[in-house]
Amino acid sequence: MKVLVLIPCYNEEASIQRVVERLRSTCPQVDYLVINDCSTDNSEDILRQNGYNYLNLPINLGIGGGVQSGYRYARDNGYDIAVQMDGDGQHDPAYLSAVLEPVEKGELDMCIGSRFITREGFQTSFMRRVGISFLSGLLKLLCGKRVLDVTSGFRACGREMFCYFADHYASDYPEPEAILAATLRGFRVGEAPVVMEERQGGVSSINPMRSVYYMIKVSLSLIIDRLSYSPKRR
Amino acid sequence: MPLSLQLCFVLGSLAMLLIVFALLKKNLLTVKYSLLWLAFSAVMLVFAACPYVVYVLRDLLNLVMPVNLVYLLLFCFVLLVLLSISIAISQLAEKNKRLAQANALLEERVRRLEQKLEEKNG
Repeated sequence: MKVLVLIPCYNEEASIQRVVERLRSTCPQVDYLVINDCSTDNSEDILRQNGYNYLNLPINLGIGGGVQSGYRYARDNGYDIAVQMDGDGQHDPAYLSAVLEPVEKGELDMCIGSRFITREGFQTSFMRRVGISFLSGLLKLLCGKRVLDVTSGFRACGREMFCYFADHYASDYPEPEAILAATLRGFRVGEAPVVMEERQGGVSSINPMRSVYYMIKVSLSLIIDRLSYSPKRR
Repeated sequence: MPLSLQLCFVLGSLAMLLIVFALLKKNLLTVKYSLLWLAFSAVMLVFAACPYVVYVLRDLLNLVMPVNLVYLLLFCFVLLVLLSISIAISQLAEKNKRLAQANALLEERVRRLEQKLEEKNG
């Protein structure tokens, strides 16, 4: 199985090198691709000087557009599985196999690394957990699928799944929307327990100021996605 | 309506029509986006040239002042234009994203090929 690990990177100069080195030493058998989303810091220099594999987006597309270009790369280069992993060091490559396994075995089309199954490691702030469980409930209501860690960016997708995402992927806060879109279209989505760490550097794309806006926007787009979906279109 | 005012209206809507045509001719505006403006200028020209139409419409809608009908139409038109612009921006953003992704994928490929070539040449 050809596996590609996608590492979206926006201003992660403090952590990106460590993340890639750790991945290469833990899982030397998988390919990786860093997606530099037009960083304004030294991320690109670090990627070039170390000779890493990376995509360089000419304009900032945000996490959705960035990850989508990774899925397109995986599609065009004949990969079987694409795994998304954050560039800030939150996701330990030691758990890569846990997330990969259900997809490799063909049990799932998308497997999400969830920190809320075993409840070990970094669990994020209370307010954020409230937001996540709200979105989780909303998703359950809209498509009948219970996913605990809806905003987790640690996920593996099978070929059919990422070929779909290569053409249709939400741009701003795509994680919950991707779960809904996949489930509605009959893809099998599930979770695997992982342990996450606190970010090692950089600034999260979701800051407290924007979190209310984030919740409203995500909820609204989930509802609109659900309403505009008609089973005939697949 | 005094004749001088009517003349102003006619000249004004004519000027608008001509401006849209001039923009089209200079390629500053595409036909797709000019249709709304052309239709609006034409309607305004008809209203200015024969105000009788406005009076009849006013009576049909039971409005007190004929000018209110003109304001109403103006407002609806502005809303329509704003909406069409939002649609155009959304489509452009999507196309822009696709373009950026294609560009990044190509750039990566070029880099890979260059590296291969370098290795081959020594």
